[in-house]
Amino acid sequence: MAERGRQYLLLADEDLISLVEANDAEAFAVLYDRHSRAAYSLAYRMMGERQSAEDLVQDAFLKVWRAAGSYRSERGSVRTWLLSIVHNRGIDQLRSLASQRRTQQRIEASAPRSQPSEAFAQSWRNVQREQVREALRTLPPEQLSVLELAYFSGYTHVEIAELLDLPLGTVKGRMRLGLKKIKDYFDSQDTAVPR
Amino acid sequence: MDHERFEELKDAYVLGALPEEERREFEEYLAGHPERQAEIEELNAVASLLALSPEEQEPSPELRRSIMGLVEPEAEPRRASSRSWLAGIREYLSVRNLALGAAALLVIGLFSWNMLLQGEVHDLQGRVQNLKASQEESRMVALEGPGVAHGAHVEVMILGDDRAVLMAEDMPPVPKEKTFQIWVIEDGVPQPSGLFETREDPVATVIQRPLSGADAVAVSVEPEGGSTEPTTDPMLTAKL
Repeated sequence: MAERGRQYLLLADEDLISLVEANDAEAFAVLYDRHSRAAYSLAYRMMGERQSAEDLVQDAFLKVWRAAGSYRSERGSVRTWLLSIVHNRGIDQLRSLASQRRTQQRIEASAPRSQPSEAFAQSWRNVQREQVREALRTLPPEQLSVLELAYFSGYTHVEIAELLDLPLGTVKGRMRLGLKKIKDYFDSQDTAVPR
Repeated sequence: MDHERFEELKDAYVLGALPEEERREFEEYLAGHPERQAEIEELNAVASLLALSPEEQEPSPELRRSIMGLVEPEAEPRRASSRSWLAGIREYLSVRNLALGAAALLVIGLFSWNMLLQGEVHDLQGRVQNLKASQEESRMVALEGPGVAHGAHVEVMILGDDRAVLMAEDMPPVPKEKTFQIWVIEDGVPQPSGLFETREDPVATVIQRPLSGADAVAVSVEPEGGSTEPTTDPMLTAKL
């Protein structure tokens, strides 16, 4: 990397975004290197295979490149913004796929991954990820499963109720309790929820 | 929607698990009750933590190359560096290094590198400040028209250097095979100036034609991929 490029490494994400807004490709490259792994991990978790995940990440980063001006720091960090783009576009894509292809088998196949003992066997790179891991470990599997089906697989609450053969009210209740438990974890650690 | 229903749906909303119609209903309620926004943002921050939970996967180097290959042709040419004096110092030091001992070389090298770092970071931060300052000097123009009746809020930010960005919020939905198209009207002739979709809300899109000398800017609904001339009446316009 050129010397100038190395200096970008010292800038905060918010400064890099301002430079990206001015079509600075080097600043964009630094943002990519900083966050592509997290973005790809989320995309892969949602799409389930490499090519679709890469397409999704490319789509999201191009959105960052072409619409960096729409970032609002008061709404959260650059990483949160980027991951929300990946998430929203991933949901759009999952929902545009034929729903027939998203079979009960896929749900059942993904269910074991939602078990804490397997899902979180991976070592985590940083403290924040470790905190999130710990927070999710406090969730009963049935709550975690509902959150994951909604967040990663793009199912609506109505679809989740049908797939799991549960009353809609139960699904909503598990969503509410699951999110509350995550927040409670951070409260109990006297730590703000990362943004 | 009432308070009770809002409470019932807010968790599914932040998880992205509301069907389209309910999501719209929820967002309309939220728009009418800005005092609930902070609560939703807080809940959204909790839901967003799930994005950090997947097992880590490494994207391929080809993906980086592919993305940079798309980005670099659109990038601004790099500006001439303002650090030529620093380069001079480095050259000078490199000559001096021949005569100085290894220890002196290390000390001076570190010092000059530190200077270089500070100088370049300062330079970059200066550019950031300039960009922010130019944003402050920018002019906003609101678009009006039938789209506003549907709740759309669209403004064009005209930057000092003749660039312009269209920002749209709460645009009405359009069929899948349609898209929004921006037109810059010059001497009464609408010129195609970019497309945008509203899957992300709000959206910001660079207007692809300069606005200097233009009469107006407009937005219409066009077939996917855009049109060379408008095929529907503009839903939003602004005189410049």
